[in-house]
Amino acid sequence: MGPSGSGKSTLLHTAAGLERPDAGRVALGDTDLSAASEDQLTALRRSRIGFVFQSFNLIASLTAEENVSLPLRLAGRAPSAAEVQQVLASVGLEGRGRHKPRELSGGQQQRVAIARAMITHPEVLFADEPTGALDSTAARSVLELMRSMADQGQTIIMVTHDPSAAARADSTLFLRDGQIVDHLTGADTAAVAARLVSLEA
Amino acid sequence: MLRLAWSSFTERWPLFIGAILTVTLGVALVQSSLLLLLAAAAQQAPSGADDVTALQLAERSLVAVTVLAVTLAFAAFLAVFIISSTFAFTVAQRRRDLALLRLIGGSHQQVRRLLVSEAFLLGATGTLIGIPAGVGLMHLQAALMARLGFVPESFTGHWHWWILGVSIGVGLGLAVTGVLLAARRAARVAPLEALRETGAATRVMTRGRWIAGTVLVLGSVLLIGLAGVGGPAGGQAMAMLVSVSAAVGFTALSPLLVPFAARLIPARPGAVLAHLAKANLRDSVRRSASTAAPLIVLVGLVLGQSTSLLSFSAAAQEELRNSTSADLVLTSAGPRGLETVDGTDGIAHLSIETSLPISVTTGTGEMAFTEIGRALIIEPERYSRAHPGSTTIGQLPAEAAIAGPGALGTPVGSTVGIRIGDIDLGERTIVDQVPPTIAGGAAVLLDADSVAADLQDSGQTTTFITLEEDAKPSEVVDRLQGFGTVLTFEEWLTSSAAAGTTTSASILLVVMGLGGAYALLAVVNAVVIAAGERRREFAAARATGLTRGQVITMALIESSTVTAIGIGLGVLAAVGTLLAVVTTTTATLGTASISVPWLLTAMLIIGAFLVTALTSAATTITGTRQSPIRLLQSRE
Ligand SMILES: Nc1ncnc2c1ncn2[C@@H]1O[C@H](COP(=O)(O)OP(=O)(O)OP(=O)(O)O)[C@@H](O)[C@H]1O
Ligand SMILES: [Mg+2]
Repeated sequence: MGPSGSGKSTLLHTAAGLERPDAGRVALGDTDLSAASEDQLTALRRSRIGFVFQSFNLIASLTAEENVSLPLRLAGRAPSAAEVQQVLASVGLEGRGRHKPRELSGGQQQRVAIARAMITHPEVLFADEPTGALDSTAARSVLELMRSMADQGQTIIMVTHDPSAAARADSTLFLRDGQIVDHLTGADTAAVAARLVSLEA
Repeated sequence: MLRLAWSSFTERWPLFIGAILTVTLGVALVQSSLLLLLAAAAQQAPSGADDVTALQLAERSLVAVTVLAVTLAFAAFLAVFIISSTFAFTVAQRRRDLALLRLIGGSHQQVRRLLVSEAFLLGATGTLIGIPAGVGLMHLQAALMARLGFVPESFTGHWHWWILGVSIGVGLGLAVTGVLLAARRAARVAPLEALRETGAATRVMTRGRWIAGTVLVLGSVLLIGLAGVGGPAGGQAMAMLVSVSAAVGFTALSPLLVPFAARLIPARPGAVLAHLAKANLRDSVRRSASTAAPLIVLVGLVLGQSTSLLSFSAAAQEELRNSTSADLVLTSAGPRGLETVDGTDGIAHLSIETSLPISVTTGTGEMAFTEIGRALIIEPERYSRAHPGSTTIGQLPAEAAIAGPGALGTPVGSTVGIRIGDIDLGERTIVDQVPPTIAGGAAVLLDADSVAADLQDSGQTTTFITLEEDAKPSEVVDRLQGFGTVLTFEEWLTSSAAAGTTTSASILLVVMGLGGAYALLAVVNAVVIAAGERRREFAAARATGLTRGQVITMALIESSTVTAIGIGLGVLAAVGTLLAVVTTTTATLGTASISVPWLLTAMLIIGAFLVTALTSAATTITGTRQSPIRLLQSRE
């Protein structure tokens, strides 16, 4: 968490290998992302890293199923229909597979995006304000989905503005002016909000 | 990849219509011109035709082949040019999609393969429509060529099955090569670009554009300088080339030139919409450059070619007037009986000149080279009196010839072989030459005594007549009526200038027609794609307080400004040709002779503004129909 412009997105992009740090090292497991070539990073995106963003970034011309199976197809492996169904079901979208993104609500589109990120069973799922474009009901159900994924052992790194979203995390880092300035573990909404207010002051 | 290409193809087809249509037009034109070219080259004289008729037919089919070859070349050039720029624009508009593909694990190669597969589908669709369209076009083109007199009425192209292979190859080849460069650049897109709301301003001015643009523009300047020393024929060719190379050069540099020109256009302080439109133009360099490019090519090509054509035909007429001394001109079939006119009442002097088609062979053995041309049968002494300053030879031996005004590569002292079909006019030594002219003309001048009289009778004879001081022209005219058509010198000048320009005029017609069709496609395509991609931007502008009418006005100002800039640069390219015309005519005539097609210029400019304004208004009106809030809320 952190005020606008504090460097949250930048930190996330750097951690995910989308931007290269000017100094320092980024390691995913024992792979050095800051030294990886473009091709190695492409391979990583296919297998070990997943992304979810505020805008859902689905491909408008493909159905939900096709969007979800695309990363594996790009990796040269066509997933079975059952596999795609199962991932879609795990995000609560049974029976929606044949819809195009524009026929789905915002919350549903974000679930498709999560399913697309999850089909490769990534080691880390990066999420930049995944609920930023959703109404509160849809936001809550997406957060619940992510929480249950985390409970099943999925590592998720999420950037958010919303203290109640941060409160669902196991641990919260605070940024200001490009620096990590604080760290809370298992805090509730009120505690996160108070810390944020003190940072913005 | 093909599956993904197919889905984006079916989903976003409006984006691709322009690309498909350009491929269709390219395939149809290449196929039709190629089939007709083969038919024209294979034309045979009817059996039993005499040698002169056969050679005349060969002469005509050579012109037909030239016109078709020029059509083919221009069609191919414009197809490559417009297709690659259409594809480049289509690809650029989809950068965000491509970045997204990279974000979820797509490699460089996969992005490239996707674009090439798409181009393949577009090419296949374009080819599928282009082949039958080409068959229709072939009949149309043959009819047009017959009307212009290049081919007999009975002339038709013949369908060959192998042309299918050529057309498919052309269609797919054009589409795939057209996209390769754009695909290579697009494949380097960074995944992060998918996350930027407004696609990052990518560098439009590539190194390739810099090099191509600079070389072509400098080349045009060089051509303007060289046109003066290239002789009449070389100067004409160079002058015509100037506007082509300048227009393409400006197009390559358009991402630089268009925003720069936009900066120069004044906007009244306080005119909010105009300022907004100017800011948009400078900001979306690719969009404005893509709209201006086809206009530059269209205006540069059409105005450049027509200006040089008109100017050179005026110059040719001027030259003919200066180099001929006559009061009346008699045209007849062969010189039979004209000798009897000489010295009769009222006629001071005459020069009988008969034109015959010939084949000229230069060089010997391995190096021998035969060309179809014209021989002018003259009496040297009379010829030099009717054409002051041409030649001074009084008597021409039978085995000699003079290099004519349209001679190429036959210097004094060289030997040429002259034949008409099976009739051999012998090996002749070039003993003199008349100055080359802008209008061109005969390759050799032969003495009337050295050519059999019955052969001369199958030619076309022009007799230049000078009257005595006190002669009554009408009486002389009456006396001559029986021999052929009599015109005053001025009347004859006008009619011969008109006849001399049909070949170039038809080539011009072809260039204008083709250029116009392609440019129209490309401009409409650019405007439609741009407006489609700008729905959100328009919605944002309306949410900021602009009315729908103001948004439409803003888009109109933008498209009109780009049109003005495109036309301006095209005119600049045409001015290059005009300068080359000045240097060429000054070098050959002593004075500059220029003639500008003002009506055509005005029509072209008004037409261009109308087309862009209408397209822009129509697309903006449909693009702003939805309420802005709805548009802004739906993100995908
Ligand atoms: N560690 C850093 N060093 C230098 N510059 C940084 C650093 N972190 C962020 N920046 C710069 O700060 C600017 C804002 O960063 P960023 O977009 O990451 O902020 P943010 O916290 O995501 O803001 P928002 O909440 O509005 O999305 C960017 O231009 C970025 O380059
Ligand atoms: Mg951010």
